[in-house]
Amino acid sequence: MLKYILKRLLIMIITLWVIITLTFVLMVNIPGSPFNTDQASNETVQANLEAHYNLDQPYYIQYLLYIKSIATFEFGPSIKQPNQTVNDLLSRGFPISFELGIITIALAVVSGVLVGIIAALRHNGFLDYLTMGIAVLGISIPNFILATILIQQLAVNLEIFPTATWRSPAHMVLPVLALATGPMAIIARLTRSTMLEVLTQDYIKMAKAKGLSPWKVVFKHALRNALMPVVTIMGTLFAGILTGTFVIEQIFAIPGMGRYFVESINQRDYPVIMGTTVFYSAFLIIMLFIVDIVYGILDPRIKVHQKGGK
Amino acid sequence: MSRKQLLWILMALLTAFILAACTAGEDAGEAPEDTDTAEGDNSGEEDDGAAAETPDLDGKTLYINNGQEPTSFDPSVGFDQVSWDPLNNLMEGLTRLDENSEAAEGVAESWDISEDGLTYTFHLREDANWSNGDPVVAEDFVFAWKHMLDPDTASPAAFLAYYIEGGEEYNSGEGSADDVNVTAVDDKTLEVVLIQPTGFFLDLLTNPAFFPINHQVAEETPDWYAEADTFVANGPFMLESWEHDSEMIFAKNPEYWDADAVNLDYVHFSMVNNSNTQYQMFQTGELDTASIPPEMSDELIDGDDVFIGESGGLEFYRFNITEEPFQNKKIRQAISYAINRADIADYVVKQGVEPAYGFVSPGFNTPDGRDFREENGDLVSFDPDLAQELLEEGMQEEGYDELPPIVLSYNTSDTNQAVAETIQDMLSENLGVDVTLENQEWNVFAEAQQNLELQFSRSSFLNDYADPVNFLESFTTDSYMNRTGFSSEEYDELIQNGKSETDEERRYEYLYEAERMLAEEMIATPIRYYNVVVLEAEGVEGILRHPVGYFDLKYADKAE
Repeated sequence: MLKYILKRLLIMIITLWVIITLTFVLMVNIPGSPFNTDQASNETVQANLEAHYNLDQPYYIQYLLYIKSIATFEFGPSIKQPNQTVNDLLSRGFPISFELGIITIALAVVSGVLVGIIAALRHNGFLDYLTMGIAVLGISIPNFILATILIQQLAVNLEIFPTATWRSPAHMVLPVLALATGPMAIIARLTRSTMLEVLTQDYIKMAKAKGLSPWKVVFKHALRNALMPVVTIMGTLFAGILTGTFVIEQIFAIPGMGRYFVESINQRDYPVIMGTTVFYSAFLIIMLFIVDIVYGILDPRIKVHQKGGK
Repeated sequence: MSRKQLLWILMALLTAFILAACTAGEDAGEAPEDTDTAEGDNSGEEDDGAAAETPDLDGKTLYINNGQEPTSFDPSVGFDQVSWDPLNNLMEGLTRLDENSEAAEGVAESWDISEDGLTYTFHLREDANWSNGDPVVAEDFVFAWKHMLDPDTASPAAFLAYYIEGGEEYNSGEGSADDVNVTAVDDKTLEVVLIQPTGFFLDLLTNPAFFPINHQVAEETPDWYAEADTFVANGPFMLESWEHDSEMIFAKNPEYWDADAVNLDYVHFSMVNNSNTQYQMFQTGELDTASIPPEMSDELIDGDDVFIGESGGLEFYRFNITEEPFQNKKIRQAISYAINRADIADYVVKQGVEPAYGFVSPGFNTPDGRDFREENGDLVSFDPDLAQELLEEGMQEEGYDELPPIVLSYNTSDTNQAVAETIQDMLSENLGVDVTLENQEWNVFAEAQQNLELQFSRSSFLNDYADPVNFLESFTTDSYMNRTGFSSEEYDELIQNGKSETDEERRYEYLYEAERMLAEEMIATPIRYYNVVVLEAEGVEGILRHPVGYFDLKYADKAE
């Protein structure tokens, strides 16, 4: 097991290095500079700016500087917000994105799984059609539209919740709802379909025949197998939601880190691009690793430590 | 390790994870609450909280939106509106724009200008102080301006200080700080020598790039501008708190020399970067001012609570005169005459903008107090017949049977696309010329335009200071902003005179002529002027919004 984990760690580091290098190559090759402007400027000013951020150095030096900053976890100042370092931006934005994300995921998983089970148990019944109808809506309506509708109805018209910003628990309700609906619907549908499949299997019949209560059959025997596909999508879902979502954070003016992914690229803010890429990749890789281990716990037939050796 | 053990470990990890998240959450939730003043409904309660820290104030608070985190409050570095709008209320330069948007006394109570127009001697107010109680001294300006010109500061605004003797040399690394000719004669007297007479120098000094820096604080804490704790202000307000990416609270600055004129006790800045959200917050009373979301322009623009003002800026299209068919003046003119600017302003851009029939937007005063735009008249117009005629003549001159293909480029945005499509339509209808549209992401676009790779491309300009030369000098031969391939000795000379002529009337004559030449040569074709449109809640008044410059809350008031 330990050997397996060490091996995985090594692979993770190599993967990260490949990502970093690819990102650097891409950055160097996209046209544009962080200092492009429609406003008045001149050559000397531009040259001073480039020198200030080492952008006048040859590429291999820039690359080495990057690797150095990543190895020491010091990504340096943001070009577009020069009085703050990338570390400041991430350490301030991530806890907020994480907070929003963890509540969202908890809500999505718990309610999604429950709804999925209910729908499966009432297969082809009214509840099944109703919940799956709502789930289809939940998947089809983009969260930014849902967010706008929620604000207009619950904040502006009914004045139940505050419109935007991130201060109190009341401020969290609308963004969490807007963000959770999509994943909740996906999880509900996924749970329902695998649950239906599992419920027809022999060992469930066996369990029922033994005289176990329906409650026990569902939660102890069926659910464990039905959850496998849900766990599969959890890795990416976690990494995606916990590191912030650009659109929702922008609409609700939440000071998370979601925007840096998009804005840093638009603005060619190279240190921030690097910082967010490394952070996100590392997070995603770790999440996938955890998912692999959870597989083994849920389903003993999957041998975690043999998988890497194949 | 058994499965059960592993499960326990994972459970423990997850619990720790969630606990950590919750603690982080509490921190994140608590910090703003201390200074939370954003709920309009229960302002009484909130004011008590704020008043506890500053008991003298009764708590009249204006809630506005800055859109996003300021780039930097280092006056030399934050060269954009999101930094300089707030900074203009925290600090004050030697001069400050008054109610008529003219440069009036700021930190300087008077000044003398030498007869040759080169040496300015400023007398600073005895009662001008920093928010920490230090007096504002001449050395603070010397320090700030040399900081701006220091190549290591990499100030994007440094070129504004090239009018000062030795400024450009220091900034380009050829000279030294000591050669920059600005000196503190004594604590309250500042002397600065310019390279040439500059009629708009006093106006230039209202620009935040020329704000002073408390040199004692800056020497002790080089990044004094980064946090509220260390920030020292010398303007109508001071920085009470600053939660990055979330909010800022300004409090009235009791040390400000004109503090009696300031009505507000607090200004609360949100950072909401979504036009719908900030409008919805305006509807619920969480904000006192807001902009109009583009799609709601028709509905809201005629309301009583809408302020529409001029904003010194222009949207225009550049011709690349190094590429066919735009080496020909008549073809360029033909394109320009075929564009119906009134329709673009009224039906495409909307938001109450004005079509542009010249390059310099309205709102620039001539020496005799009139408007530059009115004085120089309309320089372009919509005339499809003339356009057709010019096109035929132009094609004949070049020997074209068929016009070479034209690509119209713009940087990706909804409004830009709508304008570009309209122009495409107008050229096809009025001129029978079919142009291809091409949109690019802003940075890719800007790079291509700079390298003269685009044929016919969109541009915009916002003035840094209230003088027409700011825009017109873009088109001199060696200007970084040229981007058209245009080069004319005559034009360069007009601009040179337009900067250095000491007789203001004559200086403006040069500028009129330069603008007319730009239109006659048709190097770029104007489309529309920028404006500023703001929704103001009932009872909000006195916010100064200058055509060029940054908004001023010094005289702002809000009825309770």
